[in-house]
Amino acid sequence: MTQAQLLRQAVRSGIHRIGQIEIQEDICEFHYLLCHVDDFDLSGQPAFGGLDHHHGPDAARDIGTYSEDGEYRFTKGMTNLRRGWVLTLDSEKDLRTALDLFYPAAVGLWKSWKDNTLEVENLRDKLNRQTGMYRFARSISDEGAQQLVQKVCGPAHQCAKRILWKLDPNTPLSDSEASRYNGIPSNLSETEAIPLLCREACNHFVAECRKAAKAEFDAKNAG
Amino acid sequence: MPIAPKPNSALLIVGHGSTENPDSSTPYFDHADEIRRRNLFAEVHCCFWKEEPSMREAHYLIDSDEIYVVPDFISEGYFTQDVIPRELGLTGPTTTLRGKTWHYCLPVGVHPSMTGLILRRAKEVAPKVDPAQTTLIITGHGTGLNQNSTKAIKDQATLIANSGAGYAAVLDAYMEEQPFIADWATLAQTPNVVVVPFFISDGLHSYQDIPVLLGIEPEVGPAASQREVFRHNPHRLQGKTLYYSSAIGTERLLADVILDQIHDFDLRQTSPASLPA
Repeated sequence: MTQAQLLRQAVRSGIHRIGQIEIQEDICEFHYLLCHVDDFDLSGQPAFGGLDHHHGPDAARDIGTYSEDGEYRFTKGMTNLRRGWVLTLDSEKDLRTALDLFYPAAVGLWKSWKDNTLEVENLRDKLNRQTGMYRFARSISDEGAQQLVQKVCGPAHQCAKRILWKLDPNTPLSDSEASRYNGIPSNLSETEAIPLLCREACNHFVAECRKAAKAEFDAKNAG
Repeated sequence: MPIAPKPNSALLIVGHGSTENPDSSTPYFDHADEIRRRNLFAEVHCCFWKEEPSMREAHYLIDSDEIYVVPDFISEGYFTQDVIPRELGLTGPTTTLRGKTWHYCLPVGVHPSMTGLILRRAKEVAPKVDPAQTTLIITGHGTGLNQNSTKAIKDQATLIANSGAGYAAVLDAYMEEQPFIADWATLAQTPNVVVVPFFISDGLHSYQDIPVLLGIEPEVGPAASQREVFRHNPHRLQGKTLYYSSAIGTERLLADVILDQIHDFDLRQTSPASLPA
């Protein structure tokens, strides 16, 4: 089954949310309609309630690039997707392309997760293959990395992804709101939403590891 | 060179990306959109080193059993020879991985058809200048770490110098190795100078760093997409007339170069002697 076919089946069986996006089927003459979850009511009004109407998957990248206040959304799991738009799509193939632009690889990761074929990459593996200026990130302590997860990840820090990785195969993440988060906003069930999955630490987290490792090094030398 | 449709194959465009500058990945998505519109492949995706989706997540994007990987990079070097094969798990021109067949093509920047794009870009930015009174400078990053990183630019400079385009001189210059682009006014002996950045995107280097090195801007400015007014050519500097173009990778026709690399890959497999390795 292709990812487009999986999406069609999922939407027909009741899935209507991914991240901050509401997925609607057969609206007006359009096969699919996407909008920000907070614009759901407006999207059902005549002329989409004045929301900007885009058609076709290409617009998804522009919509998702900057937040409302002009911040570059370098990690697409960030919970600052801007409002004020609807995106209409002609097919499940276009739906799949649009969702990949909003939430890169999220549908494929979800499919593999359901099939038990998702390969998770633990933090140490990720850090150990950093090169150049990021090589220093690998020297972060376990304690420092655990603290960083609680400081950087999870919805409290604007990330809507469910963390699947550990520090290493024998070191799970410490219990916290970030490590417990299931990747589905608004307490919806798994029959209603596609979870956003974090199979490897993002580049932002690696950059933060580098900063924390440097601070640890400086503190140790100062002492 | 038009390629036959591959309705059962995927195209994976690989780029660098940035966590700082959204313009960095714009050309890759534009190239993907352009090729997607032509319905040549079952699916067209992008993946990145510094953006999502990562190269290690790329195979989760793909349904097809055959995948053409094209590095949307301007030269062969560390990324195309080390990072991309390692991250995607590729071991040669063709690799079978998780039951799928992956073909690894050469980067766009080394394809001969780049010559035409550079000339076109130079003409666009300075349509009325007399080539005989003009030096064309192709500029790139340059690094002492990998000699291959400047080879594509040197090759293009030679090709254009011998192309009959009529420029008084065609030079290569770099940000971080000699000859330095900051010395453009002394490198060029002509009253007119056209500078084409041999980068894929109008990211930090071509839109923010090089303009400072050229003297167009006093300091590094905001990203290209956040500017209300784009730079205006020409610039009168150091007794010369300078024309500065946007990065070569922002050219829409670069999508054709991606397809050219796939065409050449297929040709190389069926007729190995017909193309250079």
